Amino acid sequence: MDDLLAEFVAETREMLAALSGEIVAWEAEPTERARLDTIFRFVHTVKGNCGFFDFPRLEALSHAAEDALSDVRSGRRMPDRGLVDAVLAVIDRIGVMIEEIERGEPLSDSNHDILIAALKGELDEAEISLAISSGSRSPVSVAEQRTIRLPVELIDQVMSGVSEMVLARNDIARRLQVSGVETGIEAPFSRLSALITEVRDAITRTRMRRIEGLFATFPRLVRDLSAELGKQVFIELENGEVELDREMIELIRDPLVHLLRNAVDHGIESPADRLAAGKREAGMLTVSARQTGNTIHIGIMDDGRGIDSDALAAKAIEVGITTAEKVAEMSRTDKVQLIFEPGLSTARQVTSISGRGVGMDVVRSNIEKFGGSLEIESLPGEGTRFLICVPLTLSILPSLTVEAGGQTFAIPRSYVEEIVSTSGGQLEFAQIGERRYVTFRDRRLACVGLDTALGLVERDTDDSLFVILRLGWGDLYALAVDRIFDHQELVIKPLAPGIMQSGLFVGCTQLDDGTPVLVLDVTAIGHGAGIPRELQRPTTAASRAPLHSDREGLRVILFRTLSGERRAIAMSAVEQVERADAGAVRNPGAEAQIVMGEEILTLAGVPDGAELPDRFTVLRLSDGGEPMAYAAREVLDISRLSGELKRVHGKQGVVGVTLVDGEAAELVDCHALFASNSAQGGSGHALTCRLASTDGWMQNFLGPIIEAAGYRIVEQNEPADIAFVDSGCDTETGCEARMAIRLRNEPSGARDTDTIYRYDRTALMAALLRAGQELAA
Amino acid sequence: MSNMLLLVLLAGRRAALPAVQVNSVIELSEVTPVPCAPAHVAGLAALRSRPLTVIDCATALGIATGPADWRKQRAVVVEQEGHLYGLLVDGADDIVAAFDEAGPLGADPGSGWQAAALGRVETETGAVLLLDIGALISGAGTSLAA
Repeated sequence: MDDLLAEFVAETREMLAALSGEIVAWEAEPTERARLDTIFRFVHTVKGNCGFFDFPRLEALSHAAEDALSDVRSGRRMPDRGLVDAVLAVIDRIGVMIEEIERGEPLSDSNHDILIAALKGELDEAEISLAISSGSRSPVSVAEQRTIRLPVELIDQVMSGVSEMVLARNDIARRLQVSGVETGIEAPFSRLSALITEVRDAITRTRMRRIEGLFATFPRLVRDLSAELGKQVFIELENGEVELDREMIELIRDPLVHLLRNAVDHGIESPADRLAAGKREAGMLTVSARQTGNTIHIGIMDDGRGIDSDALAAKAIEVGITTAEKVAEMSRTDKVQLIFEPGLSTARQVTSISGRGVGMDVVRSNIEKFGGSLEIESLPGEGTRFLICVPLTLSILPSLTVEAGGQTFAIPRSYVEEIVSTSGGQLEFAQIGERRYVTFRDRRLACVGLDTALGLVERDTDDSLFVILRLGWGDLYALAVDRIFDHQELVIKPLAPGIMQSGLFVGCTQLDDGTPVLVLDVTAIGHGAGIPRELQRPTTAASRAPLHSDREGLRVILFRTLSGERRAIAMSAVEQVERADAGAVRNPGAEAQIVMGEEILTLAGVPDGAELPDRFTVLRLSDGGEPMAYAAREVLDISRLSGELKRVHGKQGVVGVTLVDGEAAELVDCHALFASNSAQGGSGHALTCRLASTDGWMQNFLGPIIEAAGYRIVEQNEPADIAFVDSGCDTETGCEARMAIRLRNEPSGARDTDTIYRYDRTALMAALLRAGQELAA
Repeated sequence: MSNMLLLVLLAGRRAALPAVQVNSVIELSEVTPVPCAPAHVAGLAALRSRPLTVIDCATALGIATGPADWRKQRAVVVEQEGHLYGLLVDGADDIVAAFDEAGPLGADPGSGWQAAALGRVETETGAVLLLDIGALISGAGTSLAA
């Protein structure tokens, strides 16, 4: 029996047990509302659960009972003796069927129709009693499935016991090491040690559950919702076999359901709107779960209308969250983020589905409460995507231990973006008042000294070691620390309220030697340092400015050209660094070209008439459009331009010269490079190609890639520079071509150098290039 | 047994804690200071794998004459609301039986003591002041010292 079914059985059993008292009371007083509701809920739940499993008879039975009870609740029907008996009989029957399901037997085929008829009130009393007796069987007592339910506290107790064992083990290990004496217990100790690790893993697993169980309830939810709203929604689940802390599954249930409801209610359009927008009538909702390291990523994606960022911004201005001036500065992404501000809802009307009051801010803060994060991406007209990141377990936290003010602290690793140090001198600082800013990947991040933030004794020296922290929603800041120790998996313990009251710590943990270590609440420390939230947002105006406003801080790749000059090129222009063979280069000199993968690129940086080394480095450059390549002898470093740029006259391809890390380097003029590249790609240069018109493959498959490579396809009757010919057909028709490239159908022509396998794209490109070469010569 | 008392020495005076609430009396080997914590929280220690919040009782009462030195003091381990606390005292040697329930103090024991006083208890060693553990933990007397 699979887990889901076992859970269904256990749940139904539990409800039946709880219901037994209610049934008796209801029998005595059939009109009593509270009891009626309880019983109604029971049959409703059973009916709903049957939808996941294939139990049509059970479903039909519970459905009939639900209908009858629903009539009673709405006052359309009086709960007479016959109805009460029939409902009770149904509940008994459900109990019997659950047992059959549990034993894995086929469901007994006792006649349900007559019972259903009794529920519908179609039978008289005598028939009803017959109906009830016909299906009832004395329940066979069976050995219950061997599962037990345990309070979480008990498991936690075992877990903390095990962590204590781990600490004790580490202690013994250390003592053994220190003593250095052969005690003869080393072997049994290492066995014990391995066993403890095993137990720890096992107990961790007891807390884990497949996320599948949670996802399984979604199709039903979405079906009901979309039916209610008159929409069509398909849901696709990808659970990725992810396991999650049982407690965590309960914690993410509500936020997930909320997001799903939102997606169906607000995200996905009505069928008519969808058709009008050129989409399929039915909306698509994808829920996926992935585990990356110690984090679970749960994505909810819809292909609906996306978030109306302007409406959101307008609403935000209306309720006073922001101002029109600020909105004018905002990008679409910034506006979408407004959805997380408290007191905002864009729903045109409050519906019963998404409810009222609970905004995205609450959903997000609920997720953040257990250490998760919620991100949103939305494209107008294309849909919205939510990403929930959940730590794998609450109690074991991967952490980074650092030192500040002579004390050790732990930082949850999921917040750590990067560790940077000024020892290499690559960091650039700005001082604004008393606050220092460090430039990290073109963003100015506020520096917060951990010692200052915690009120510890500060050192005299300047901060030099930073942990870049990424808060819940991409907000970054730099935390200055004195030392960085280690990444460790730490067991987190709660702290006494007196210590928690500062709000700077989330818990406490112990290092292997038992020393207590405080775990920092990096969010609180960031905000505590007085940095307003906006400044930490990655995409505010401040971060967009630096690239063009001044060259200072421009990130560059330093390299040595083939002729030996030290040059720098803007990192943003470099897509890739590869190694290439001299053989891939055609036409060395100012108009050199290179075959890279499946493309022919203009190759810059090759001096006229120079001998190419056999192997050299190629920087693949892109300005977003046509890519090109730059030849280099070697890549030296990644650095940042800090010095003044001196113009150099009469030197082509270079903007100027500057000092990088104390040595002169020429800054490559990317603008001129790409300008000449696109000029070369112009029609004046294009060679013409002719394809065999009778060959559909050439027209449809080959044509587009040749055109993409900058050649012009000509008609059959036009003269062409190069003709593509199928090696199987010798008759070359049409006008003459200056060159021909022959293609064959078989991958391995026995060392056939005259023809090229038609799917060998690299060879095709090389052949084109060679043909162009020879024509030019 | 509920009227057994642990006699402690604090700021040169004898006082009593309800023995039933006391887990043990230990000497601390390592205390990690906690930044930004209230003044009477001396730091964090570990009792096996559980964190132990160390409370400087003299500061908590507002009668401290100098900084607490946990190396010379002993910690009375108590548990409250699921958290372990170590109450730093100058000495804790004896457990005695109270003759009676705590009675009224009769007079003001002095401003600091007042903050955590439950009453006066007669024992075989004489009358002692019964201290309120909760008040010590919350640092009821710290505001007086300030």
